[in-house]
Amino acid sequence: MRRQIWLACLMLAGCATVKPAPKVNTYVVLLPEEGGASTAVIVGEGAQAVTLDQPFGGATVDSAGNIQRQASSAAQTDQIFGAALAAQPPKALSFTLYFDTNSTQVTAASRLQLDTLMAEAARRQAVEVQVTGHTDRVGSDADNDRLSLQRAEAVRTMLVQNNIKATFIRAVGRGEREPLVPTADEQAEPRNRRVEVILR
Amino acid sequence: MNRCFRTILLSLAAIAASATVALADIGQIKNVSGAVFILRDKIQQPAKPGDLVQQSDVLITGANGAVGLTFIDSSRLSAGPNSRIELKQFRFNPTTQDGEFVTEVQRGTLAVVSGQIAKRSPDAMKVKTPTTILGVRGTTFAVQVEE
Repeated sequence: MRRQIWLACLMLAGCATVKPAPKVNTYVVLLPEEGGASTAVIVGEGAQAVTLDQPFGGATVDSAGNIQRQASSAAQTDQIFGAALAAQPPKALSFTLYFDTNSTQVTAASRLQLDTLMAEAARRQAVEVQVTGHTDRVGSDADNDRLSLQRAEAVRTMLVQNNIKATFIRAVGRGEREPLVPTADEQAEPRNRRVEVILR
Repeated sequence: MNRCFRTILLSLAAIAASATVALADIGQIKNVSGAVFILRDKIQQPAKPGDLVQQSDVLITGANGAVGLTFIDSSRLSAGPNSRIELKQFRFNPTTQDGEFVTEVQRGTLAVVSGQIAKRSPDAMKVKTPTTILGVRGTTFAVQVEE
């Protein structure tokens, strides 16, 4: 064991003696935000830390840990990160489909949204689909739990019929527990008779 | 020098490898181009769209490789050619949205769009490189590491 420790020390010493002068190792650039929200990346820790909070603001860090600001541009970012950025998966999208009273039939007004959902799901590679059914507050909790699940299952069936090659589709019913618009019990509310679908 | 470091790292890795715990899937590979591999438990396998990833997986791309992934907190990572990215730590509670996400870029390029973990807590998502650590405050950015 002692011999191994000695050997490790020797190896470490060997590495230290051939250590080259610091050179740039890491380059970071903040990119414009999709939603336009204000955001930041903190480079490093403690007193030396540099905050990047402007689009195309950047910094380099060398092998000795020295941080230096170095602004970038769209063209330069594309040159260095083009392949990585091209591989970025699309953002998760959510859709809301509305349903006729006490029915698993999508309303006429939601047909277009349904078509958009199917087209988007078909376009995505290895898409994961989360389907959550809801009802308004008319009827018993037990009936609404069942109806909300039936609505979610109806959407799942349509996805399958449209040959969507999802890696998984999860359909759940939440009954009347999570209304979009809060109402008194037994009050009909078209906006609560819905299925929410998330494509990821 | 490279070989020297590698010998030390391998000795350290052998010591650390004793406590590996199987954890749930944390994300999914969405797209692959060129040569892309997942290194898990010392076994390197070609990656394809739909493959699930776990904490401690290492993503490796070849000279013409690129890969994109989506995580269960809706974070998105994508790597360009000649990259080696380790998914060091990942923890996410979908109900409270609390979590922790630490990625290490050992070499190559990585583009990041942060998700719920960074949104919920400003210090919960970090990207490490061999020379620094990046704190992610809910944002889109890219990192390059040259060996």
